Amino acid sequence: MAEIVAAALTSHAPLITGKPDIAEPAQRERLYAGFAELHRRFAGARPDVIVMFVNDHIQSFPYSNMPAFCIGLADSYPAPSPGSAGLMQIAPRRVPGAPDWGMALLESGLAAGFDFAYSYELESWDELAVPLHFLLPEATVPVVPVYTNCAAPPLPTVRRCHQMGGFVGTFIRSRPRGERVAVVATGGVSHWVGTPETGRINPEFDHWLLDHVARADIEPILALTHTEIERDAGNGGQEIRNWVAALGTVPGWKGDVLAYEPVPEWITGCATVWVHP
Amino acid sequence: MGAPVTKTSYALNKVLTAVARQHARKDSFTDEELAGQRLTDAELAALKAGDITALYHLGANPYLIRRVFRARFPR
Repeated sequence: MAEIVAAALTSHAPLITGKPDIAEPAQRERLYAGFAELHRRFAGARPDVIVMFVNDHIQSFPYSNMPAFCIGLADSYPAPSPGSAGLMQIAPRRVPGAPDWGMALLESGLAAGFDFAYSYELESWDELAVPLHFLLPEATVPVVPVYTNCAAPPLPTVRRCHQMGGFVGTFIRSRPRGERVAVVATGGVSHWVGTPETGRINPEFDHWLLDHVARADIEPILALTHTEIERDAGNGGQEIRNWVAALGTVPGWKGDVLAYEPVPEWITGCATVWVHP
Repeated sequence: MGAPVTKTSYALNKVLTAVARQHARKDSFTDEELAGQRLTDAELAALKAGDITALYHLGANPYLIRRVFRARFPR
């Protein structure tokens, strides 16, 4: 069976790369060091494919068609697109996809009663571009994005996201022996974006979450409701669904928090977490 | 069956999505730009004023508010 050779959880926010200079330098460098360490570990793990649990920001999916879970089947993905590159200050580029791998996951899900949507063309925002800027600077490993609706309520429950990730983990382990798969989730931690509380961060919630991730104490996280997350972690905090999905692929694995910085200038509680057996 | 708890204005989000997808930004909207949209009086007023707080409470998606009205946020 295939092997999950690397797993990581990171934040994504356009200002992490878009306006590095406005952050307090020590905070910026500690977070960048966390990304650099993730990059080092990923390079050492030599994955053949990276499954990315991410979310749209009403860029690909409009309110006329809003999937709860959607697998990317594209040949490549913009990370970033020319239109959003300026905001992130990352040169436009495309990272390779793995459409056959994604199709196998899709078919397997449908056969097992997990009804993913799918898309052959995705316009990504910071959910791919910012973390891959650090993790995959040379775009050499194909990615399969699995999108979860974290931005346009009503959203799938946190527990359902964990079940979805659990299915993806089962699928990965059904893959041919020798295949090396990495899992990355991006989003969170607490942040309020576009709401009247824009700019707020809640380090108390973030530390609570990170502590539970570090201990693989998943059940209190799965019990979080949409309302509780909105109250304690903001609308941006709803993106922890991606983290939970990734954790579902590797039951029992624990988080090694490489960096956590609540960066007010980037309006985001920013973290990088390595997840390991 | 309970009542829905999500407050979303499809009309507002449709207008904002069209702008966001062009990677464009606005300070406010004009009557001409909003002609033909099925917006309530309150939604029209909020878009024309660029009132980001009102838009949020009327059911516009906050990510779209942030993208379109970026200049109205202090940071």
